[in-house]
Amino acid sequence: MKQKPRVAVFDFADCEGCELEIADLEEEILDLIEIADIVSFREVMKEHSDSYDIAIIEGSVMRPMDERRLRSIRSHAKILIALGACATMGGVNKIRNQWMPDDVKKEVYGDADLKGNELFDVFQTKALNEVVPVDYYVHGCPIDRDEFKSVITAIALGKKPDIPRYPVCVECKKNENICQFELGAFCLGPITRAGCKAICPTHNSACEGCRGLIKKAEAECVKEVLDRYKLSYEDIRRRCTMYNYGRKECSYDE
Amino acid sequence: MKPLIKTITKKDFSTFIDAIIKDRSYDVVGVRAKGARYVFDTLSSANELCLDYDVTIVPPKKYFLPQHETLLKFSMQKPFEGKETIPDESRIIIGVHPYDIIALDQTDRHYLDQQQDNYYKKRRENTLIVGVDIKNVSERSFAASMKTNTTDSGFDLLLTDIGTNYAITIGTEKGNKLLKKYATVKDANASDLTKLKTARNAVLKKYKQKVKIDKKDWSPLLVANYNHAIWEERADVCMECSSCTMVCPTCFCYDVKDDVSLNLTQGNRTRTWDGCMLKDFTKVGSGEVFRDDVKERYRHRFFRKGNYLPERYGFVACVGCGRCGIACLPDIADPCNLINELAHFSSEKDTGRYFIKEENEVLEKGIIHVPRSATIKKITPFNELDSLFEIELDDKKPLGHKPGQFVEVSIFGYGEAPFGISTPPGNTPVFEIMVRQVGNVTKKLCSLKPGDKVGIRGPLGNGFDVKSFEGKTLLFTSGGTGMVPMRSLINYVLDSKQRDKFKEIIILYGAKRPKEITFLGDVDRWKKIRDVQCELTVDRCEPSECWDGCTGLITTLFPKIQADKLDTKNTIAVVIGPPVMYKFVIKCLQTLGIPNENIYVSLERRMKCGVAKCGHCQINGIYVCKEGPVFNYEKLKPLPEAFE
Repeated sequence: MKQKPRVAVFDFADCEGCELEIADLEEEILDLIEIADIVSFREVMKEHSDSYDIAIIEGSVMRPMDERRLRSIRSHAKILIALGACATMGGVNKIRNQWMPDDVKKEVYGDADLKGNELFDVFQTKALNEVVPVDYYVHGCPIDRDEFKSVITAIALGKKPDIPRYPVCVECKKNENICQFELGAFCLGPITRAGCKAICPTHNSACEGCRGLIKKAEAECVKEVLDRYKLSYEDIRRRCTMYNYGRKECSYDE
Repeated sequence: MKPLIKTITKKDFSTFIDAIIKDRSYDVVGVRAKGARYVFDTLSSANELCLDYDVTIVPPKKYFLPQHETLLKFSMQKPFEGKETIPDESRIIIGVHPYDIIALDQTDRHYLDQQQDNYYKKRRENTLIVGVDIKNVSERSFAASMKTNTTDSGFDLLLTDIGTNYAITIGTEKGNKLLKKYATVKDANASDLTKLKTARNAVLKKYKQKVKIDKKDWSPLLVANYNHAIWEERADVCMECSSCTMVCPTCFCYDVKDDVSLNLTQGNRTRTWDGCMLKDFTKVGSGEVFRDDVKERYRHRFFRKGNYLPERYGFVACVGCGRCGIACLPDIADPCNLINELAHFSSEKDTGRYFIKEENEVLEKGIIHVPRSATIKKITPFNELDSLFEIELDDKKPLGHKPGQFVEVSIFGYGEAPFGISTPPGNTPVFEIMVRQVGNVTKKLCSLKPGDKVGIRGPLGNGFDVKSFEGKTLLFTSGGTGMVPMRSLINYVLDSKQRDKFKEIIILYGAKRPKEITFLGDVDRWKKIRDVQCELTVDRCEPSECWDGCTGLITTLFPKIQADKLDTKNTIAVVIGPPVMYKFVIKCLQTLGIPNENIYVSLERRMKCGVAKCGHCQINGIYVCKEGPVFNYEKLKPLPEAFE
């Protein structure tokens, strides 16, 4: 039998929620270890190895030391998978990119002397692909477990993962939800990449765009809908800040 | 015969429904409230039923074509033991409005045609429809002006609220039996019948939306306005979310995907609703997207409703439910609105034709989704991208194809892809296809070895009618992979048993680069046959490459034809190549003086199901996998999407 690929899971600036989603595969974890050797996964095991083929990385890059660590991981891994919104696009960590890093530090840590402490030496938040090439993306905050499985099986079978390029509305309609706009909410579903099974609107919460925008907030159709629902461009800009600050439409390869 | 009409008190009706639920022989579903809207969902008690609803979020098509449906279960270890997972549960749907009943009848025409869809069929057979006459009208519905607000058929039972009672029109014997078994009913008397009529008429006044023209006039109106500015104007604000098609009772296109378990041992082939408003709907393996422009997709949806399906089946594929009007955020999806606006502005004449009626042989009846097991016998690489695969059907039955037909090659876990057959017809289970590595299936195919198994569905589509070529001079022009089906045709007519039936044969063949010239062995052989002229060209040639032939596009080969000796009226021209090639080659053929009706082409689109069901390969009103892929140019020419 062919040797199983060695998989390592790493985290940067994140809440570890996406890793928890993997841990939550429960008995299916056994299926996963049938096809892969997990050699490093801080959240669920003590062991660690620097010899791995596939690196699964959660979190954003905030500091020079993160950048060095990420480059080192990249140099070990044949395949690098960005896990979750923080890794795929910066996600909530990019909210602070609205301000300069020094101002942010001052706001959070006041007058504490952090000079020379590289743990606090932050720059503007970066997604993984702003530092190293990323081979595969598992979108969302948190990720969808089924999509994670489908990306893993696609890699194992040597096929291109089937990540939707259509908006959340498609899945939302299949779920027979009442449109969030009809309920008076402002939903980013129409311009957000599907693949989450429209989990938020299905549980009566408007989409926040955590899987990335597939249309610009400036698009004609968005303007039309904003007008119709008496919302302003400022509203959508604010709305997109949560996950998509400073980001344009996502590319076809992401 | 007059329909049998009974009455039941509302209280007895509840008892009737509760009795069916309690019996558990059926999955009893009905209309229930969901917030301020309604959905079809499983009932646990008659109290949950809302029969005075206006419209449901999604139509009852979900019970026949579910949002996600497993077609096959397969094992990754045992290739090609895929089994159809035919549904067997019995269901009763209570509270279906007439327009939705009519939409189901329309869907029957598509799914229960010569190539029946077993899943759909079984669900239809196992489901009883208890309809209900509309009492409250959705603010966007225009069913009255579509004459879909009432129906005489398509239901097993139909309820009408006539005050303290429901009138029950019995539509089928199955419905009658259901009543006899579970309900206490009385024969309707004259007063009941008057009440029924009054109830139906009273609803008519409630429609706020009306289409101003008769539905039979939709088609000429659309045709006259194929190039109207309205398509672009409205498409400019389209979200491309396909919500309109998701909630539509007459939309039935689907996509198919293979899901594999995390341990890679087994998987499901599932189908899910797809929408023609989505950009990837027409995307082929090589990445090309047909109807790339939102405007084209936006127009397609209305033409499908008002022209394509009416031409094919004789009905307008819109029942006026108004769901798309509610679902569309920029409010551009509502056909009532669009048709009225077109009718208001339009004064143009009927000019275009967007549909071709073409009979096709159905070679494989019955099971349309399950591939036959086959074995790869030989793989011959042409270059780093293209390889020739020799495949044998495991049941050893002849493939029985015509030149120009295609097969769907299936690899469980990876999916299916269409391939032109490159070998001539023959009494053999062995055939060849050429595989170019562009997508998941083709890449996987190229990693397989002789002895490995694949699945085959086909032969599919319309091939060449070679008999009609007899006695003629034949001019074959192929570019790139177009040579694959062309080779089947050429070798068929050059077969020693056939050769005398045709006059001179001219073969023009172009490829991008010398290394992309495929079937060189065949080409050399053809060159040596009497009365065969065979000319080759490559678009370009690097200094490092060895090539002593012609350089330039395929059109540069035309001057090599001795035009003065060509009996153009008695020449059949066949063109197969990449989309960009047709326009230029056809111009050359016309310059030669070959009449359009003597020109045949073969087109490539996203032929996903191969049996004219899934909708992906549509060019205007036709399914390339059914009416094509081989077309007569004269017939195809009016279709704007054919050579876009």
